[in-house]
Amino acid sequence: MTHQLAPLDLSNVTSRDAIVAQVKALSPNLDDVVVSPLRGGREAAMARLEALDPQGYGKTRNHLDGAVTQLSAYIRHGVVSPVDVRDRALDQVDGKRAEKFIQQLAWRDYWHVLYAAHPERVWTDMEGYKTGFTARDYADDLPEDVACGETGVAVIDYFIGQLLATGWLHNRARLYIAAYVCHWRRVKWQAGAQWFLTHLLDGDPASNNFSWQWVASTFSHKPYYFNLENVQNFTGPDVDTAFNRNKDLAGSYEDIAAKLFPHLEAKP
Amino acid sequence: MSALVWVNLDNITLDHPVMDAAGSEARAIFIWDGAEMNARHYSLKRRVFIFECVQDLGVPIYVGDPVDILSALAEEADILTAHTPDPYVRDVLADLRDTHTVRVIDTPTLAVVPAGTDTGRFFRFWNKAKRSALTHSQTGTSS
Repeated sequence: MTHQLAPLDLSNVTSRDAIVAQVKALSPNLDDVVVSPLRGGREAAMARLEALDPQGYGKTRNHLDGAVTQLSAYIRHGVVSPVDVRDRALDQVDGKRAEKFIQQLAWRDYWHVLYAAHPERVWTDMEGYKTGFTARDYADDLPEDVACGETGVAVIDYFIGQLLATGWLHNRARLYIAAYVCHWRRVKWQAGAQWFLTHLLDGDPASNNFSWQWVASTFSHKPYYFNLENVQNFTGPDVDTAFNRNKDLAGSYEDIAAKLFPHLEAKP
Repeated sequence: MSALVWVNLDNITLDHPVMDAAGSEARAIFIWDGAEMNARHYSLKRRVFIFECVQDLGVPIYVGDPVDILSALAEEADILTAHTPDPYVRDVLADLRDTHTVRVIDTPTLAVVPAGTDTGRFFRFWNKAKRSALTHSQTGTSS
């Protein structure tokens, strides 16, 4: 392996264009041109931390335009720590009012405890699928139409487009895409998890992969799925939730479950 | 020679106990391992974000294999890094332990749970972690 024992000379790398050019020079085999509008660095992280609204987060976090922080990429790389973020939240409100927010932060600690204890489980099924299918029934590879956001399901394509363009998704959008990949398309969660790790600025194997397993049902009591009405409840007018362009997602939860998991017995 | 701090991908910061452990004369560096970036299939946008985080930190960025670079730069000095569960970091350090003193410094966590806590599901963990997670690290208050 070649290496240089002088550090990079970054004296002329001051603009974003120059940074992108530098990174491309360091990545000669990378056939990719998309750069996120989200900027790295402590200053950008602190600006988001200053804007933290833990109480608003607790009330609106499920909505796609809710008071989420977009701090996750900075936390993932340690630019700010979860402890910093927790302390900032508790500077603003008491523990009771910050609890929903801090509980979400604690998920990361939880995934990391599991990762440290079982690093091999990050790519293997923690448990069997509870979908009426076995792992053999799921495709190994991500379909090309999913990879480029051309599934024909408008809301899924919208969120995939956001993933590819920005490297960030609201948690609920992540759940929608993961459920679509695992259950509507019956693809192994590992294929989707690797795809997310390629693109998500905050992607880390612990949080990402165990969350995919939660959706797939290999680390939960039942599969996560949703319907079009749920998407309509949590999105604004910028997301096309029209029935005609999202037919695959439409129906009651009972109808969707019967379609996706035909081998499971219907609950009375 | 002063200690060498390896700033790893999970801890792109100097605001970490690893800096105190390394001493005031410590040298902190980041290593851009293109082979590892490729192995992880990181997109350009991920790489640019990481590069911006490191550049903003102001530490020297070396390019190449971390075992070779850390070994050469440390010479006789200790090598320290912040704890991460990432097996990549663990494997690099394992390759250095025969020739260097390697120290991994704990990264403070939000939630502190007793040894043996049931981690089978999140809410069993949360029930044990809640008190520590909701307590301010400086003031010790939660309400």
